[in-house]
Amino acid sequence: MKITAIVGSNSKHSANRKLLQFMSRHFDDQDITVADIDQVPMFNENYPGGDPQPVIDLAQQIEQSNAVIISCAEHAHTVASSLKSVLEWLSYNLHPFANKPVMIVSVSSFPQGGSRAQMTLRQILNSPGVNAIAWQGDEFLLGNGDTAFNDHGDVKDEGTVKFLDKCFAEFITFAERNNAK
Amino acid sequence: MKFAAIVGTNADFSYNRILLQYMKKHFKQLADIDVLEINQLPAFDQDLPYEEQSMAVWQFKQAVKNADGVIFSCPEYDHAIPAALISAIEWLFYNPKNILEQKPTMVVGVSYGTQATSRAQEQVRQILASPDCNAAVQAGHEVLVGKAAQSFNKDGNITDQAAVANLEESFTSFVKLTDALSKQTEEDNLMTLKQPFVNDAYINFPTGRLSFKEAQQIFSTIPFEIDLIDRNDRFAWFSDKPNREHVRHVNEINETVDECHPPKALPAVKAIINSFKDGSRDMVERPLIMHGHRTLIQYYALRDVDGSYLGTIEFTGSVEHIISLFENGAFADVTTGASKHGDDAATSETSADATSAASEETGAPVDDAADGAAKAKADADDTDATTSASKED
Repeated sequence: MKITAIVGSNSKHSANRKLLQFMSRHFDDQDITVADIDQVPMFNENYPGGDPQPVIDLAQQIEQSNAVIISCAEHAHTVASSLKSVLEWLSYNLHPFANKPVMIVSVSSFPQGGSRAQMTLRQILNSPGVNAIAWQGDEFLLGNGDTAFNDHGDVKDEGTVKFLDKCFAEFITFAERNNAK
Repeated sequence: MKFAAIVGTNADFSYNRILLQYMKKHFKQLADIDVLEINQLPAFDQDLPYEEQSMAVWQFKQAVKNADGVIFSCPEYDHAIPAALISAIEWLFYNPKNILEQKPTMVVGVSYGTQATSRAQEQVRQILASPDCNAAVQAGHEVLVGKAAQSFNKDGNITDQAAVANLEESFTSFVKLTDALSKQTEEDNLMTLKQPFVNDAYINFPTGRLSFKEAQQIFSTIPFEIDLIDRNDRFAWFSDKPNREHVRHVNEINETVDECHPPKALPAVKAIINSFKDGSRDMVERPLIMHGHRTLIQYYALRDVDGSYLGTIEFTGSVEHIISLFENGAFADVTTGASKHGDDAATSETSADATSAASEETGAPVDDAADGAAKAKADADDTDATTSASKED
């Protein structure tokens, strides 16, 4: 299955990128491509010249994927503005998320692992403008992100990896069931 | 009372902007509302070092910091707060410090539909109440203006009287909340925590004593304003002089040097402070034009009697009055006067440069004035030092 994995932060040091890179290596039976969003400008409905190229490229990549994973950072109990900006672009002229299965994961420096940002993100994905099909059931929340990875960028804790395996398997089943392609 | 009202979108046209402009007009008797835009702000970037933050970010943060309270007018995009507003809030709390801490905040919103941004407003409150922001969020009142196209007339006024009444009630309540929070004094806080505090006292100097009130009023009266950066590089105090050249705000107290200067001015400021700390300089001065008049800024190393560094004071004032005195021959007269007093005429002749002349002048007349005052005291007919000083003239 072709999957676009969106890093939900424009920070160069985001642990959410690490998680997605780990997932793309770990789940090598699926075709996971990690997509950065730091080239996407702040959404503005009066942006000169229509949708900027990084938005068009990302939209196309999502269109051509069977499913999407978003790993969201949490700032002040909500999603990062950089991720929200991407979702606004992709619910404006282009709507690549429409009926696309989406898995939400998150890493944060605190023990909660971004639980509140996940709730907000789910609400946004369910809004009529975005109209994604957000997978629900288990929640993968990786806390204490600063110490969760080893030097190779792998998730250290075996129990955590096992739980991620379970979540991902459920999501793949869900995505297959909900996939038009 | 002064409020910063943030337009929660970067769009060219927004009813949320019109709502804030309406509030500014409608409540002008009650409060001073400053409508702030966010479309000039760059997208938030947590990797950007503080020194590289733009002037637009700094000015936005200053405006919010120096307001007594903040109003957020928030549109709703995809059932949530717009990215541009999240980004603006991220700038406010992230680096170098959270300036929303304990700030009274009110959330309002307008939408074309009937939901009137109810979901986005809840998110703004959730964000403002998070430990990252820790703002004092107004609860119990909601300003939800739906059906925007019908709710406003072409002059930007709200036509629905029930909506106006709700807005008035909500804003009045917000003003009360802001007022209550601002009246909480340091003493109140100490009393709450069962800590003792000093209410009035004298400062005893080797040369006499001043009440706290006198000390404060002296600083407010002298024609130069003073700012103090303490030895820990924190903005500790400024003199409460009317019509200051540099407008300071109590919210800036205790900020680090980094926080209270625009990033681009920092290297020069730090160079001055470092030269005071290492003892290579004691004073730096900058004559310049400020607010249309000639102004002298002098930075002095504030040193303890043993010479150790206590801080940096910035001494600023208009010199127009002094220059005009000079141009009208004032100092020529004083020099003549001084040479009359002085036995040694050669001393005043050698004082060619202004600095040494000034120090010569302070040497002689001050002693004279003190003598004069002592004499006056002895005669018991004149206890006013000012009068005896003017006698010297």
